[in-house]
Amino acid sequence: MAHVSVPMYWRTVPQRYGMVGQRCRKCDAVNFPPKGVCKYCNASSEFDEVKLSGKGKVHTFVLIGAGGAPPEFAEQEKAGGMYPVAIVELDEGPKVIGQIADVNPKDVKMGMPVSTELRKIYSEEGVIRYGFKFIPEELSR
Amino acid sequence: MNMKKVAIVGAGQSRYGDFPEKGIKELFFESYQDMTKSVDKGMDPKRIGAAYVGNLGSGGFQLGNMSALVSEFVGLPYIHTVRVENACASGGYALISACMDILSGAHDVVLAGGVEKMTDVSGVKQKYWLGVSGDTEYERLAGTTFAGLYALIAHRHMHEFGTKREHLSEVAVKNHKNGAQNPKAQFQKEITLEKAMKSPYVAYPLNLFDCCSTTDGASSLLVCDAEIAKEFTDTPIYVAGFGSSSDYLAIHDRISTVTLEGTKRAAANAYDMAGLSAKDMQLAEVHDCFTIAELLACEDLGFCEKGKAGQFVEDGHTRIDGDKPVNPSGGLKSKGHPIGSTGTGQAYEMFNQLRGTVDKPTRQVGDAEIGLIHNVGGSGGTVSVSILRR
Amino acid sequence: MSRLPVGISGYGVAVPRLRIKKDEYAKAWGSFQASGVAEKAVMGFDEDILTFATKVSKRALASVALEPGKVTRLALASTSAPYVEKVLSGTIVTGVGIPRGAFVSDHTTSSRAGTEAFMAGIEHVIANPSGYALVAVADAPKASMWSPIEHGLGAGAAGFVLSHDDLIAEFEGHAAYACEHFGERFRPRDEELIRDLNVKKFAQSSFMGATVKAASSLLKNIGTKPEDYAHVVIQQPDARLPRTIAKKLGFTDAHLASSSIAGELGDLGAASAPVGLAAALDAGKLGERILVISYGSGAASDAMSFKIVGDRKAVPGIRSELDRKHYIDYIQYLKLKGAIK
Repeated sequence: MAHVSVPMYWRTVPQRYGMVGQRCRKCDAVNFPPKGVCKYCNASSEFDEVKLSGKGKVHTFVLIGAGGAPPEFAEQEKAGGMYPVAIVELDEGPKVIGQIADVNPKDVKMGMPVSTELRKIYSEEGVIRYGFKFIPEELSR
Repeated sequence: MNMKKVAIVGAGQSRYGDFPEKGIKELFFESYQDMTKSVDKGMDPKRIGAAYVGNLGSGGFQLGNMSALVSEFVGLPYIHTVRVENACASGGYALISACMDILSGAHDVVLAGGVEKMTDVSGVKQKYWLGVSGDTEYERLAGTTFAGLYALIAHRHMHEFGTKREHLSEVAVKNHKNGAQNPKAQFQKEITLEKAMKSPYVAYPLNLFDCCSTTDGASSLLVCDAEIAKEFTDTPIYVAGFGSSSDYLAIHDRISTVTLEGTKRAAANAYDMAGLSAKDMQLAEVHDCFTIAELLACEDLGFCEKGKAGQFVEDGHTRIDGDKPVNPSGGLKSKGHPIGSTGTGQAYEMFNQLRGTVDKPTRQVGDAEIGLIHNVGGSGGTVSVSILRR
Repeated sequence: MSRLPVGISGYGVAVPRLRIKKDEYAKAWGSFQASGVAEKAVMGFDEDILTFATKVSKRALASVALEPGKVTRLALASTSAPYVEKVLSGTIVTGVGIPRGAFVSDHTTSSRAGTEAFMAGIEHVIANPSGYALVAVADAPKASMWSPIEHGLGAGAAGFVLSHDDLIAEFEGHAAYACEHFGERFRPRDEELIRDLNVKKFAQSSFMGATVKAASSLLKNIGTKPEDYAHVVIQQPDARLPRTIAKKLGFTDAHLASSSIAGELGDLGAASAPVGLAAALDAGKLGERILVISYGSGAASDAMSFKIVGDRKAVPGIRSELDRKHYIDYIQYLKLKGAIK
């Protein structure tokens, strides 16, 4: 198990449940997930909170198969079969990694439009960790 | 400007593989003794003032103070000793730490090494440890280990540059061919392109033969002020330059998905220090934890243009008899990847390549004077490059 | 009554993508025990009632075009919550962006929990003329694979925004019925799976008694007759039992048509009547009436009457949710249900 303590996970709930990012007051770029110093201008740590749409396009993806899943996801792979993980370029600019759910792995394509939805990510110490996953955009609305 | 220079005067490596009878102490000792034997004029251990030991964690065994443990076990108590941890680049950084120590004048004879014991732990724990060096909050919790992360890079590389599945497998075939000539390698067996192409997908587009294995092993280097190098050997190998660079830990935060910025910057620093360029490198030991990583290395070290590494490999440039031999040892893929030991293990190979003392002449690159070693932590969060010269 | 009209301002529905056909059960067990169920919906490995409640909450709010920040009351219902103790609504509040000051409640102990939550929302908006209540109902009941009751168990969710504003369906009244009954569909403390002693006639008499009594008193109270209704939504443990109840109350199969979902989704537990209501709203025309009758073992029933006053529909509607599907086999079903230990 990757040990992510309950408080550590809880601190990321605004990102995982609500796609809350930071808009840099200096260069206006959007950081997601949050940074201490803006990763675009590297010159400011002053941000405004911004709620992202969760919409974006698949920048690259992998299909995690047998043996490729970390232990906390091994059961998911065994129960549900190979699962896609993508780096998605969000409409607001930043890229972020996440699984793509509700899709036949063979149908995942580069550039495919996706949007976020709350899903179970994994469980640790009896606590279900929820967070965003991507789903094909035509299924969201 | 500091006029000091650093030399490597001895190098040793344990066998790489799966050794139930040996732990980190025994493995490290095996490499240390091998190193001692390699010092032509002999070496008094009392001269070693410091030890930098690369190690990721060896399955959680002795996470704290492990450098004290392995140092005293090999007969080096009462010295300045440090565990160096930068994931899979721990060894490369251990060598750089040793160089910096010597350049600072703090010590004149220093041990740089690395050790990892990966096969002691259960299957589940092994996967746990393999994934601890990526970004835990987002990458790990998206359900990836390193195979998944490198597959994300590989897939984008294929998409942007038309890199073919065959190109990845050709790296595996070449490295296994070289590793078959390395008596200390974990897998001393050649594989066919067909076999490499047909193995099951672990993380599509990467298959089992694109991935390195888990390995036990250790390596040791005797590093000293170049001024006194001749006290140990008449054929020292000099550290002509070194460089290192970190990058954003998570791939999604990086400028480019298909470039390891850390490699580019570490190499630029090393070339600059050595007053050399990529074309001067006569051979290289690069970090091929996954086949795609060797393609990235060829590009980001400047051996070929960005996006062209697939063709570069296909054209045979990187074979032992090519004009830019890469991973004559078999690389991480075939020689093995005992995480903390990998960087200093690369230096061990380069030390022998440049001195013409490779244990099997079939993988000896002919009359090379300058070589580069390249060690990557995780998916590129840390990278070290060193240039060694006869 | 002199109070302002209250009712449904918006709604949303969601069904998991995975389905299993009754043939899979027939192959595995030799027979299939849920009458009239041809296939049913199954939650995926990364789905549960909280992810579905979040989804239908967002959809219901979007159908009104109401900002989550306006919600003053959240009532969540399910019989298959992932935690037996913990405020479940906390996940929804944060996942949807509902103000932390909203009053939340979790309704979890019977398949009538959906209408229980719905009525909690209605009471809130009656008491708070400027309030907005969000009712989120999601369910995916679980039973032992050896139990005949398991065959019918499906999954689905519906959400409703209740208020005084922008009504699409006016709430006309509610009647309840509760009594002591046991042995039918229950879960002792510390047990994860539904038990049912399968005392068939005894259980059916409870189901019929409670639903018919609640519905009859509602019609009597508000002065409506069966012929005043175009749509009747009845708790659907299978596809047959609602027809028997409907007949007893003087309704025909035509009344049930718009809300008959068990045949394609299975028994939705607490979400059965709410998803049925959403389906009826999808099909309903201006001026038509909907009667909703829920049932929970133990036993209780709620009956609610609505009149359609607006033609705004949920997007996606129930039909497109029913059509979005991916079939799995029985082995995959067992894995997803955690039945292989």
